[in-house]
Amino acid sequence: MIVDEALRRIRMLFRGKQFQHDLDEEMRLHKELREQELLNRGLSRDDARGAASRSFGNVTSIKETSFQAWGWSWLESLLQDMRYGVRSMFRSPVLTLVALLSLGLGIGANTAIFSFLDAVMLRSLPVKQPAQLYMLGEEGESGITDRYGSTTLYSYPFYRQLQQKNVVFSDVSAIFSMLNGVHGTIDGRNETEEMKVQLVSGTYFPMLGVQAAIGRALTEADDDSEGDHPVAVVSYAWWKRALAADPSVLKRTIKMGKTTFNIIGVAPPEFFGTKVGEAPDMWVPMSMMKSVPPGWNGYKDDFFQSMYIMGRLKPGVSKEQATSNVNVLYQQITRAFPDGDLNPRNLADLSKAHVALTSMATGLSSLRERFSEPLKILMAVTALVLLIACANIANLLLARSTARVRELAVRQALGASRMRIARQLFTESLLLAGFGGLVGIFLAVFANKLLLRMISGGNDIIPLDVSINMRLLFFTLAVTVATAVVFGIIPAARGTHIGLTAALKDGRGSSNGNARSPLGKALIVTQVAISLVLMVGAALFTRSLVNLSHVDTGFNRDGVLRLEIDSNVTGRKENDPRQIAMFQEIERRVGALPGVKAASFASFFFNQGSWNTGIRVPGMDAREDINIKHNVIGNGYFATMQIPLLAGRTFGPEDTSTSHRVAIISEQMAKDLFPPGINPIGHHYYTGFDPKPDDDIEVVGIVKDVKFRSLQEPPQYIDYIPNPQHPWGYGSLGVRYNGNFNTISREVQQAIHSIDRTLPISHITTLDTQVARTVTNQRLVAQLSTFFGFLAVFLSCIGIYGLMSYTIGRRTNEIGIRVAIGASHASIRWLVMREIIFLVAAGVAIGVPITLLGSRVVASMLFGLSGAEVVSLLAAIAVLFLVAILAGYLPARRAAGIDPAIALRYE
Amino acid sequence: MKRDEIPPGTLYLLILKTLALHGSLHGYEMANSIQQSSEDVLRVEEGSLYPALQRMLIKGWVTAEWGVTAGNRRARYYSLTTAGHKQLGLELSQFQRVFGAINRVIQIA
Repeated sequence: MIVDEALRRIRMLFRGKQFQHDLDEEMRLHKELREQELLNRGLSRDDARGAASRSFGNVTSIKETSFQAWGWSWLESLLQDMRYGVRSMFRSPVLTLVALLSLGLGIGANTAIFSFLDAVMLRSLPVKQPAQLYMLGEEGESGITDRYGSTTLYSYPFYRQLQQKNVVFSDVSAIFSMLNGVHGTIDGRNETEEMKVQLVSGTYFPMLGVQAAIGRALTEADDDSEGDHPVAVVSYAWWKRALAADPSVLKRTIKMGKTTFNIIGVAPPEFFGTKVGEAPDMWVPMSMMKSVPPGWNGYKDDFFQSMYIMGRLKPGVSKEQATSNVNVLYQQITRAFPDGDLNPRNLADLSKAHVALTSMATGLSSLRERFSEPLKILMAVTALVLLIACANIANLLLARSTARVRELAVRQALGASRMRIARQLFTESLLLAGFGGLVGIFLAVFANKLLLRMISGGNDIIPLDVSINMRLLFFTLAVTVATAVVFGIIPAARGTHIGLTAALKDGRGSSNGNARSPLGKALIVTQVAISLVLMVGAALFTRSLVNLSHVDTGFNRDGVLRLEIDSNVTGRKENDPRQIAMFQEIERRVGALPGVKAASFASFFFNQGSWNTGIRVPGMDAREDINIKHNVIGNGYFATMQIPLLAGRTFGPEDTSTSHRVAIISEQMAKDLFPPGINPIGHHYYTGFDPKPDDDIEVVGIVKDVKFRSLQEPPQYIDYIPNPQHPWGYGSLGVRYNGNFNTISREVQQAIHSIDRTLPISHITTLDTQVARTVTNQRLVAQLSTFFGFLAVFLSCIGIYGLMSYTIGRRTNEIGIRVAIGASHASIRWLVMREIIFLVAAGVAIGVPITLLGSRVVASMLFGLSGAEVVSLLAAIAVLFLVAILAGYLPARRAAGIDPAIALRYE
Repeated sequence: MKRDEIPPGTLYLLILKTLALHGSLHGYEMANSIQQSSEDVLRVEEGSLYPALQRMLIKGWVTAEWGVTAGNRRARYYSLTTAGHKQLGLELSQFQRVFGAINRVIQIA
């Protein structure tokens, strides 16, 4: 019934013309028939027509009511307003262009930054009821730990016990805290390919409620006995990329290490795992842990704490209830492990441990920690830029609405209601904003690609979905409407408050109060204030970045080639003498290449994670709060990195697996952790808190401090260990070279392959790039805030120029009179410039306190600076004055050039 | 000649009834028919028929079709639909209820 009615209404909408025509004809017939009848009764033609008209009523209003009955009159007037709006946009094309461009940039920037904010921080995981999912512990830790009281990383046996004993989760699953980067072989191919493998418990997919797109997902049955289930579920993206979307994917296999895995399913396209910005290529059950290189052996190890545990709350269970249940079980399970080492220290650690539950609704993400601050700041910056753009457009529209005073007055005089005119002006603003929004979305698509590249900080693009989606479009729409309200409301309100008679009488309204346009000035002052904030922000972030890039790393970051090999493909353990010899042989052959000065493997070069333990130095109090970072290195490491040796010796051939264990320590470690006044060289210490003879190490050298994980960190306690004495399954090679990077890179690869043809080589880069990548977010913020800072200043200049040109236009005859009674050109110029300087000064006065406040908010993101400093502030103020004066100079010169005769005659 | 304005809200009823009696009519015929049936007592502002007819078209009570008059002119003829017939029943009973009530009030006085 209602549907029928709606259908009729819609059908009518498309027959507007026909409708009017039909109604006209029908009513004309009616009147003519009546007139004829009256004629027949003997009335005169004129009387008959009059009487017929009278009895019929007002034709126009009847037509109007008939039309309104269909309920489309709002649309009609909207269309009319829009047509009118488009026409008036074309009447002032420069204004329209400036408005569209600034709106497009403003909305585009906001959309782009928001799409990252959304992807990194806000978007829920594409799984069943993500709000019910919680992880044990807090984010930010990954790897393997044997520490007692670990509340983020757990062992597989712990997971199994928790699964059985808990009463608060409907499902529990475990996920390995690291991705395994495996070089595996797809069936029928000769070359290995790099694939990212995520180990998960069999409950992972069922708990998330994720069904396979093809085949089946992993189940509990795939995880019930160790080593028996060589199966993998591959990601949709990998299926398309690596298997060209092969429809018979379920018959394909992948060989990893010595094991051939059957592909049993393809995950749905939207599912990227549970960690934002890290998309595994495939998921393999935990039961196969030992078969997936590097072959972790932890399936039955009670203290191989390496997994995140997450659970789905049972309906009706609160987070608090779950937390208390988990904590009771945590103590119970950990203490009951038969192989637990419950010494007093471990017991103390354990009893202090509290497991917090963290919501998994938006997934895990290391990106979040790194980028949430920068993204929030950039969001604020782009919002401010948009605000400036709005102020600008409001100013331009204001100027135009004053110029349109007569037009609006005429329309009011003809009976248009205030509401109607306000609505029309507002429709025009909305139209402008709408087009601006379109331009913005267009720009955002490009900006997103650029931003993703910038955030990734290299060629490995972070797998993050920042494509335009419904939520984003909704955001853009909201922003667009908001901008229209912000810049449209003042002109609309102003446009309807017109002294009718004054406006109609007066030629150009030169003498009314609008000439002083306090509103326009207020907008300019606002713009200047915001510009100042953005400029100082940009200066601070840029200086912070410069400070970071001048940080002394302790090593020479230039001239070092870096690459990764996957030594797992040899199938040998790292302590196999052949493996140790292979690494040494690679170092020897690469080091002997022409143009290569030194080459060495190391477990860590820069920002590659760490391996920490406590130590015990005889003669010093045990410090359990101090962890030492260990770096296992080749003999040429210090030569490769050019880390100066301060005392003692470096490692040499004499340091073998059977010789006494030795270490080289960092300056800071020597200074703080060894007895004062004693030369640490020749001194012994133990790794681990307990002095076991096996862990006895002799210090043979001291080297200068280096940055290890980040440029911002204070000096670290680091010891270096020769590889034969603590064999490491190396991946990272560094080569100090002279000459052409590409030539050296090719020769190095050939040298490696001459030793083992099957060794996969990847991530070829330079040490310098590796270091630079760690300040990606600082660079991102510095570059973008600089860009937006300049954009803000540029927009403000347009605003100043526009306002000045407009006020001078309005004051033409005043200036004409001044010139006529003898004012000099210079004094007229000063008249204009004085106003600009006043406006900028007012803006600066407002901006400075806001800037000081704002810089305190971002202080934590600055390096080597303590908030706003005078230089940046003064520089920004100087720049603002300079460009404002430039922007004002043109109108000022024009004012000075006014010919009084022409100006006065014009009136 | 003095005529009385029709009571508000009864225009639909009059149109529906007229169409029910005569099958299909155009606007002028309807106006005349209402006037004649009421023996020239009721006065319809003739133009107001048309917005009312549009509303009835929306409701689906009547349909319209172009035809030719006796005088060989194009005219739009309206006729009742099934829904229109039903509506007439509704409007009639409602009118009688109200009219009866008013009547009783008056007679008591």
